[in-house]
Amino acid sequence: MERNILEIKNLTTCFFTDDGTVKATDRVSISVGKGQTVCLVGESGSGKSVTSLAVMRLIDYAGGFIQSGNVMFHGQDLAAKDLDEMMHIRGNKIAMIFQDPMSALNPVFTVGDQIAESLMLHQNMSQQDAFKKAIEMLRLVGIPAPEVRVKQYPHEMSGGMCQRVVIAMALACNPEMLIADEPTTALDVTVQAQILDLLRRLQKELGMSILLITHDMGVAAEMADRIAVMYAGTIVEEGTVERIFDEPRHPYTIGLLQSIPGFEGERGGELYTIQGTIPSITQLPTGCRFHPRCPHAIDKCRKEEPILREVVTGQQVACWLNEDVSNHFRNNQRANSIAGSKAEVNRQ
Amino acid sequence: MSQVQLQDDTVVETNRPGGQLPTNPVGQKPPGLWTTAGKKFMRNPYAVSGLIVLLFFIGIAVFADWVAPHDPAKVDFMITNLPPGTEGHVLGTDELGRDILSRLIHSSRVSMLVGFSVAFAAVVIGTLIGAISGYFGGWIDTCFMRLVDVMNSIPSLFFNILVLALFGAEFIYMILILSLTSWTSVARLVRGQFLQLREMQYVEAARAIGVSHWGIITRHLVRNAMAPIIVYATLMVGSAILSESGLSYLGLGIQPPETSWGLMLSKAQEFMLVDPLQALYPGLCILLVVLAVNFVGDGIRDAFDPRKKKKNPKRRLNKWNATSSK
Amino acid sequence: MTEYLVRRVLQAVLVLFLITVVSFGLMHAAPGGPLKVMLSPGMSPEAQLIQMKNMGLDQPVYIQYMKWVGNLLKGDLGNTFKNNVPVGDILWPTVWNTFVLMSVAWGLSMLIAIPWGIYNSTKQYGLSDQIASIVAYLGFAMPTFWFGIMLQQYFAMQLNLLPLSDMYTMGKEGQVSDLILHLILPVTVLTLVNIAAYVKYTRASMLEVLEQDYIRTARAKGMKERRVIFRHALRNALIPVVTIIGLDLPTLVAGAALTESVFNWPGMGRLFVEMAVAREYSVLMSITLLISLMVIIGNLLADLIYALVDPRVQLGRKGGRAA
Repeated sequence: MERNILEIKNLTTCFFTDDGTVKATDRVSISVGKGQTVCLVGESGSGKSVTSLAVMRLIDYAGGFIQSGNVMFHGQDLAAKDLDEMMHIRGNKIAMIFQDPMSALNPVFTVGDQIAESLMLHQNMSQQDAFKKAIEMLRLVGIPAPEVRVKQYPHEMSGGMCQRVVIAMALACNPEMLIADEPTTALDVTVQAQILDLLRRLQKELGMSILLITHDMGVAAEMADRIAVMYAGTIVEEGTVERIFDEPRHPYTIGLLQSIPGFEGERGGELYTIQGTIPSITQLPTGCRFHPRCPHAIDKCRKEEPILREVVTGQQVACWLNEDVSNHFRNNQRANSIAGSKAEVNRQ
Repeated sequence: MSQVQLQDDTVVETNRPGGQLPTNPVGQKPPGLWTTAGKKFMRNPYAVSGLIVLLFFIGIAVFADWVAPHDPAKVDFMITNLPPGTEGHVLGTDELGRDILSRLIHSSRVSMLVGFSVAFAAVVIGTLIGAISGYFGGWIDTCFMRLVDVMNSIPSLFFNILVLALFGAEFIYMILILSLTSWTSVARLVRGQFLQLREMQYVEAARAIGVSHWGIITRHLVRNAMAPIIVYATLMVGSAILSESGLSYLGLGIQPPETSWGLMLSKAQEFMLVDPLQALYPGLCILLVVLAVNFVGDGIRDAFDPRKKKKNPKRRLNKWNATSSK
Repeated sequence: MTEYLVRRVLQAVLVLFLITVVSFGLMHAAPGGPLKVMLSPGMSPEAQLIQMKNMGLDQPVYIQYMKWVGNLLKGDLGNTFKNNVPVGDILWPTVWNTFVLMSVAWGLSMLIAIPWGIYNSTKQYGLSDQIASIVAYLGFAMPTFWFGIMLQQYFAMQLNLLPLSDMYTMGKEGQVSDLILHLILPVTVLTLVNIAAYVKYTRASMLEVLEQDYIRTARAKGMKERRVIFRHALRNALIPVVTIIGLDLPTLVAGAALTESVFNWPGMGRLFVEMAVAREYSVLMSITLLISLMVIIGNLLADLIYALVDPRVQLGRKGGRAA
């Protein structure tokens, strides 16, 4: 495999609050290879978005900071760069798209203006050329009549259309890395599938890497080469999509998979839920962060925090009892395969 | 405009089966909105000092007859324009030999009376009209809102001047006209709150189980709109005091031999050459009272604002400055 | 667009009608009436009746009102009771004087307050921000006329630097340099009060915009912070600020009545106070009408500006800006 384009190593981020600084993520490590898609999966509040903001160093504007760890991009540590240097990387080498496309676009500028802006900044294009390129980009992301659309304002477009514009804007400078923070969550289901298709197609055409943040295991199954599961600010399991779906080892991952409707193959059964809620980052439990909700927790889980370690090639897990649990899971849900889950998702 | 959020956001989901979460002790009742707000208010040094100053002036106003060293209206031509620090007259005397301190103390009565009664009347009128307008909507709403438009099209100072000049500068007229020109903002606020609240589930639920219109308005809606109304009322006390002083300064408010800070200022301006300090005290009193009222109002607003307890932007900013100038 | 304008003008006419009816009614409902001021006490009842007939006061109020409107439509604002001077002769010079004072004060406060507010939004809780909030607290709590008196005492009486009051020194009427000297104190008073409010609006509006997603997008595109603030945030932030300031304008003109009285500035506000005491109905009606007209035009302008800078707003279309 090729060298990793992005390597996040032991990233710890904090936020300022009235009660002092609070850790939002704790020693998070993820790597993304060239042309790969890595999905960061977890419930809301698990620190996925914070991780993505930290990579872009946008966390500096959101009331937080990187406490320790590295974000290596092409051998440079983004975590150590100052904000001026980051300006040349943001939008140029690494681009980002956000959850709510309607609010991500500035309402008082035309979409053409907003796409052309980064081209003029990063590639020193003239305004005319930048506009031509903007039209091209709109065509690339599948917007009909781009010559007309380029002069329109965001409020004149639908949500799906706006997300296409946001993608066009992000890809205008041909970035090597795209961070997509829940790019389909705010959209209708049919539009969701279109946007995911678009991302996949563009990834092939442009050869970029994607870090996709989602809470939806179905989206992850469809898009990911690798999956990292986050819980309460840490990565609890990481591996290739096949390993995670075939043989999940962390009880939380297993819970996530079981709570996909229809995943267990039988209809009419009660939906599986993970009991309890994700703890707030200010009141983390001792030991394993998942143990209060874990059906298999043992004494050790309450005392010591497990670290992420490789159990098989291509799969890391942070759990004291991973062998037992996955056996338990395998025996009960043998019938389910990754193909089944993919079919379910595609049917949507 | 910042909306005061009324739902108590400290309520967390409770009683999940088997979910023994450390964050969430089951069965413990979260503190009420008013208790939390009260505690927050008392932690705010500006609000508390504002409250103390305000209480001080209220006390002086109530006990003016006992507190004041002299009769504020007693004219004595033997001791006109005494300088401050004279024995028996700490702040000196005015052009008619009246004790300035005593006059200041008695003037606080007018300010307090005007401030609180106008705020009260305006809130009553405004809440009533806003509530009816917002609750029933339709043509009632349209009529009332046109009325508000018309009221807002005449700058209130002009309206006040007009009425007081034509009908005579009586104290009761002043309170009446100040109330009549300041209810519109409360009405708009309450109407807005009502439009928002009446769509909410619990109001629908109340309607469904047959609670009367009046019951819904008083029980559910007014109680929920209470916090912003109180904030508004507090700030209105300050603006009424300012209006009174302005009108009295123009000669359209309090008439001699009664006294008020505004009236004292207009006299002091005439005698500016003789005694420049005379103009200082009444103005300072107005400034202090209105400042105190505004601090209290802001304190109440912050106490009810759930957003305020999230981040400390100051520390966040220091960090930001530090990183950006690296 | 035309439909919108027509609707707005009709609305405006209705509001104007209501305002004039209310003011007219109020004046004639007041006890005493103009006679109390006008007539000498020793006048015989017959002479009084003749006087009233001359002034048209013997007719029912609604007839008087219609006459007033009729004359108004012909461009005649009426004459004063006292000396029978045409209202326009008294009114227009004061309008101009108020305009001079207000435009200088208003322009100056915008020039200072908007950049200051923007700066404070980027350096929250910094020194400048704290000074601004002190200014705001003082500006809102201080009786403006008292501030004027204090300035007069210090700069005019004690230091003898600036003229105490009036618009021109006697004998120097029309001299710009003299006018400027006379402007300094009242403009300072008005500007301070305006700045207190405008800095607050600008800062709050900027802070709200800076929290928006599209600002994060702009940063994610690698825009420099300066460009984020001045291109992406400012335009969005100024929309509500300009609207509020536009709507505030007539209130400011009215509020200047006190400042004008303190500095003896021969403006509209001071004229209104004088005429209210003298019960010169035709002058009062004219000023009321003028101010209301300003309010309505100010509202309309605010809407038009809004539509101009915010592409989301389309005038005359339902679902546009809620009034």
